[in-house]
Amino acid sequence: MQLETSVQSLKMGTEESELGGSIKAGSGRMLDRKNRLLFYNRSFKIACIASASFVCLVLFSILFFMFRTGVLTFRDVPMATFFFSTDWSPENESYGAFVFIFGTFALTLLTLLISVPLSIIIAVFMAEVAPKWMRNLLRPVLDLLVGIPSVVYGFLGLTILIPLLRNITGTNMGDGILAAAIVLTIMVLPTISRISDDAISVVPRKYRDASYALGATRFQTIFKVTIPAARSGIMYGVILGMARAIGETMAVVMVIGNTPQLADALFKPTSVLTSNIVMQISNVPFDSTWNNALYMMGFLLLVISLLMIVLVRLLQQKGAHR
Amino acid sequence: MKLFKTLSVAAMAIALVATSITGSTASAASSLKGKIVVNGSSALLPLTLQAANEFKKLNPKVKISASAAGSITGPQSVRKGIADIGAVDWDASQDVPGFKKFDGQVAHKVAVIPFAAVVNKNVTADNLTTKQLQDIFSGKVKNWKDVGGEDADIIVVNRAFGSGTRVNFQMKALQGTDFISKGDNYKEVKSSGDMKTAVETTPNAIGYMDLVYVTSKMKAVKINNIAPTEANVINGTYKVWGYGYYMTKGEPDGAVKAFIEYIQSSKFQNGSLKKLKFIPISAIK
Repeated sequence: MQLETSVQSLKMGTEESELGGSIKAGSGRMLDRKNRLLFYNRSFKIACIASASFVCLVLFSILFFMFRTGVLTFRDVPMATFFFSTDWSPENESYGAFVFIFGTFALTLLTLLISVPLSIIIAVFMAEVAPKWMRNLLRPVLDLLVGIPSVVYGFLGLTILIPLLRNITGTNMGDGILAAAIVLTIMVLPTISRISDDAISVVPRKYRDASYALGATRFQTIFKVTIPAARSGIMYGVILGMARAIGETMAVVMVIGNTPQLADALFKPTSVLTSNIVMQISNVPFDSTWNNALYMMGFLLLVISLLMIVLVRLLQQKGAHR
Repeated sequence: MKLFKTLSVAAMAIALVATSITGSTASAASSLKGKIVVNGSSALLPLTLQAANEFKKLNPKVKISASAAGSITGPQSVRKGIADIGAVDWDASQDVPGFKKFDGQVAHKVAVIPFAAVVNKNVTADNLTTKQLQDIFSGKVKNWKDVGGEDADIIVVNRAFGSGTRVNFQMKALQGTDFISKGDNYKEVKSSGDMKTAVETTPNAIGYMDLVYVTSKMKAVKINNIAPTEANVINGTYKVWGYGYYMTKGEPDGAVKAFIEYIQSSKFQNGSLKKLKFIPISAIK
């Protein structure tokens, strides 16, 4: 032990001089203790910085590697073909990813169309209407729903929702963008409604009082005052839900039909970026254009979700300024 | 600090003694040692795992790690040197529809895998000729009434491109003709399990899978009037089957060679392999 400390103090020689006279004036024991503390502080600082930069390094290397492999696609496929052609048949050297890009956006939009109004109504109910005991019951239930693994939703969609859709609508298969959107709606509903609920709950009471004082009804107060005041919080929830919907794979792949054709009808088997990647990545030859094209699709997904996160940050800042 | 040092010394001593003990017992049982990595087809994984367990008991010094992704990853991993054995559902040393051959790799037959065309329970047609199968899977025939069934649209369920089952079905049942790839009544699934669920739950659906996956909730159709049974595969009348292969880089040696020989031995082929519902390679004339 004695030996180790003296070695440390030797290493720390430069710091010792920076600290000035007070340490030099102290006794030998004091000197050891100061140096030891200095050493611990320094190494802790270095450990923190190293951890932080490691996280950044991981993020950037993921981006870099996805891009590096993905961009090789454009050696063999013109960029316009990749982004705008609807013909995806890798066995015939056609790599048009428009079907999947369109599918991803169409699916997300449809999901939001169903889930946002529903979530806001649920949030309003929980924050404004429900009695306290029901609120205390509903909130944990919604929190639990967030944690259900997506493959469970997908499995239920495949075995319950799709036969149901087939019976109701009389279509032959039931697979398609509507089935996927319904499954995704159930998945993102708890996320959006819980965050909106929190946002509505923190709207100051004086806003409502003022509204009532002007003679507004409860309905008018909720929709003209409370919700607009909680807007940025609700948007935050919507974007989080949207990010989850865009990146969701397992639930979608089980109900969407996985056929590379444009989603121009609600009940037509189609495919999105995530489902196509997971369907094909284990079966492609390494170093083929096909493999690179799948990486490019993964990179696109990454970029889309990063943009979402940036948007969330901006909204948060805006919310804080209010 | 002192306590820690004593503890670590003690732990080290225990570890040393332990390794020397296991080491000595192992060397007594077999002289064969090495590490075998198997990757590739998920259809062959149960077989590989079973064989690995038995082989490790006989040769404790050999380490075998087996994993599975898709068939094509087998020969690819062998080419890249990641795996010693690549399990694949077709002979990867030759060209098959969609995949080029892997030069310099040797194929070893390890099992016979029969495949069946399956339909939903509500389909009345129970026999299809090769021509009818080709027409259905290429999208030329769209209604069951054209192939001896009732008036209803045919729902085609297909495995994704690159699946070993798909390659085999295309070669053996459809004799190499192409699949459709689009349509309102067409979908692709990711695995045999998804295929099973899709055919079981979708009325008027047709698909295909390994014979062992066929359940009572679906119907395996006769092909050219021959029922898909193990007996018909062995007597040579039912043609829709393929070999499962192990690919190696050049001729194998050492532990890899011994492992492949163990899997091909009649003891394993007629014992555990049969229990896993594969057909022994020696049964085919």
